[in-house]
Amino acid sequence: MMDVLIYGLINGVILALIASGFSLCYSVSRLANFAHGALYILAGLTAWTILQPLHLSYPLAFLGSLVLTALIGLAVYEFMVIRIRGMEASEIILTFALSLVIIELLRYLGFVGPRFTLPAIATGKLDVLGVPVDYHRIAIIAVGAALTASLWLFTHHTKAGLALRAIAQDDQVAMMLGIDSDLTAALGLSLGSALAALAALTVLPLGAITVESGYGALILAIAVAIIGGLGSVTGSFLAAMVLGYAIVLASKLIGPQYQMVVSLAAIVIILIIRPSGLLGKQKELEERV
Amino acid sequence: MPKKVMYAIIAIVVIAVAVGLGYYLTLPRAPPPKKYIVLGAPLSTAYLYGFSAEKGLRLAVEEINEAGGVKVGGETYYFKLEVMDTRDLEPGVPVSEALMVVEKLITEKGADILIGGPVRSEAALACMDLDAKYHIVHIYTTGTLTPKLHKRIAEEYDKYKWIFRITHEAAGLSKEAHEILSYLRDKYGFNKVYIMVQDVAHARAIGNILKKMLVEEGGWEVWGPDIYPTGATDYSTSLLKAKEVGAQILFIWMDHPETSILIRQWYELKIPALPVTGICSAMEQPGAWNATGGYVEYVIACPCNTGNAWSNYEPAMDFFRKHKERWGVEPEGYGAVSSYTAVYVLKDAIERAQWRPGDDPEKLVKALEETDYMGPYGRIRFDPKSHQVIQSYDPDEGAVTCWFQWLDGKRVQVWPPNPEVRLSDIQIPPWLKAAG
Repeated sequence: MMDVLIYGLINGVILALIASGFSLCYSVSRLANFAHGALYILAGLTAWTILQPLHLSYPLAFLGSLVLTALIGLAVYEFMVIRIRGMEASEIILTFALSLVIIELLRYLGFVGPRFTLPAIATGKLDVLGVPVDYHRIAIIAVGAALTASLWLFTHHTKAGLALRAIAQDDQVAMMLGIDSDLTAALGLSLGSALAALAALTVLPLGAITVESGYGALILAIAVAIIGGLGSVTGSFLAAMVLGYAIVLASKLIGPQYQMVVSLAAIVIILIIRPSGLLGKQKELEERV
Repeated sequence: MPKKVMYAIIAIVVIAVAVGLGYYLTLPRAPPPKKYIVLGAPLSTAYLYGFSAEKGLRLAVEEINEAGGVKVGGETYYFKLEVMDTRDLEPGVPVSEALMVVEKLITEKGADILIGGPVRSEAALACMDLDAKYHIVHIYTTGTLTPKLHKRIAEEYDKYKWIFRITHEAAGLSKEAHEILSYLRDKYGFNKVYIMVQDVAHARAIGNILKKMLVEEGGWEVWGPDIYPTGATDYSTSLLKAKEVGAQILFIWMDHPETSILIRQWYELKIPALPVTGICSAMEQPGAWNATGGYVEYVIACPCNTGNAWSNYEPAMDFFRKHKERWGVEPEGYGAVSSYTAVYVLKDAIERAQWRPGDDPEKLVKALEETDYMGPYGRIRFDPKSHQVIQSYDPDEGAVTCWFQWLDGKRVQVWPPNPEVRLSDIQIPPWLKAAG
């Protein structure tokens, strides 16, 4: 069962990485960014473009992709979302429409088929407690751990991070304390987009970049965020682990074809037991009110 | 008005009309409008089996039109290709979407004949009833490997006689896969097979048929089929089990792009088994070598028909070169050569039947049933009852499949074993010889 423990952890970290930007964005600005999956793919293809047709270096591709995606996130907030902020349904429709535009535009530009790949951090494998694991997946765990620690430090020990948490807790009070709510929310969306890019640069080298997988990434991010409890970054991490282990256990014990069924069953069961998700408080607060 | 004036006016008017008419009649005549036969092509264009088919169709249509079109009773018709995206290969897209596209091609685009997809077997099966409803001739040229398609035509001929399939199908390909595995067993002693397939109709069918064949034959140790959902991104469970049980052959049948993850995991984890991947979009494309830095070396894949990879068969290579010249890339995978050939088969049948748009489609059905056409992947004939293309290892007898192996950056046809078509024998990686 050692392989279940190790590959469950790897799958959990991959899911956590993919969902981190979506969760962070929702937790700070209460914005469900449905363009998250499209930004994830856009970041991957940006890095590919810098690396392949432009023949520039990997660090430049990495940084270029992160910065560009963060700037797109910032622009999305400043030019679009700010006008409808607080109208949740409109926010979802707007960001989902943006997602469709990005994905269809990428298709129109010729990004079709599994021809686009990013290089792995390293090739080869390592035996971890008797289970062979490739270096890239080990690197993913390292990136996941570093990201979790960085996010915690950022949101608990920096002025910007504390401001993000403040507007998440109470927008009005935060503004009374001198925090610029719009600026902070823009920072949240920008940071969430950068995290989508980081996930892309870390996860996409496992295979090929296909435009359609943007929808899959969005669905995974939403599932993880809902199970974790909308607005709870820690809950999202826990949820990613639950789903990661559910997928590997289902593959091992029942058969790989049931991995999606088991994941969906896990979502249903968790939401029946805890309607706000693992660490969410929304439902309890509503009931208390 | 004096009569003289009146006569003068009438004369002026008559002269003016006569001059005008004369001038009009001497004007250069616009050529009569071209007559078109509209080919509606429902294809999942974002995926390999869609866009490779589209390129094949466009190439053939351009060639035929440039060469003078289709001759029917002293008239010339040109093909007009209308491609619409069915999105049926995309995960989560319901079959009904593809059916709406097909109906749109017929009713809005005025398709006289359907060609190409739908690509996903489930969508193609559902589309059969639309073909039957509109009595429209439909040649399936890509995707759609399920044997149910031609079995259903044979069982309900009068209802589904409009439908033909010019590519191979799962049962025939399973038989060939079985022969490849037997060849590897006889030559290298490999008798442990691990089967992994995608959770779609044609792949499940192939996995189950192949397992049944191997088990019934005896002398094989078979694991699986492990069935993976479309879009799965981790295959470690099966790969580690394959390593644990000492499998020497990984038989993989998956058309989703995530197979690139599977092959990378196989490579990185150094699983000592030869991947025989069958239909596998991520491995079929010529760009796979560069995209992966060459880790696809020794992987075997099946783009279905000879002509979609480097082969020894000159008619296939003729198509191969034309495709590269037109599109700047080698035929990219399943769907290219079969779609190209289908347009020529159609032209041949239309001319023999002297069929025009609006004529009784039964005339065209009859002509297609009598098809005997030498194309890039051999002789094209349809079974008169099931309308399935007749398959053979000999290009003079039937349509020939293609199984290639990635060798030194090139997709080299290694099966069928007929030296007239294959370029090389199957190669075994040195590390596998040591393990075997």
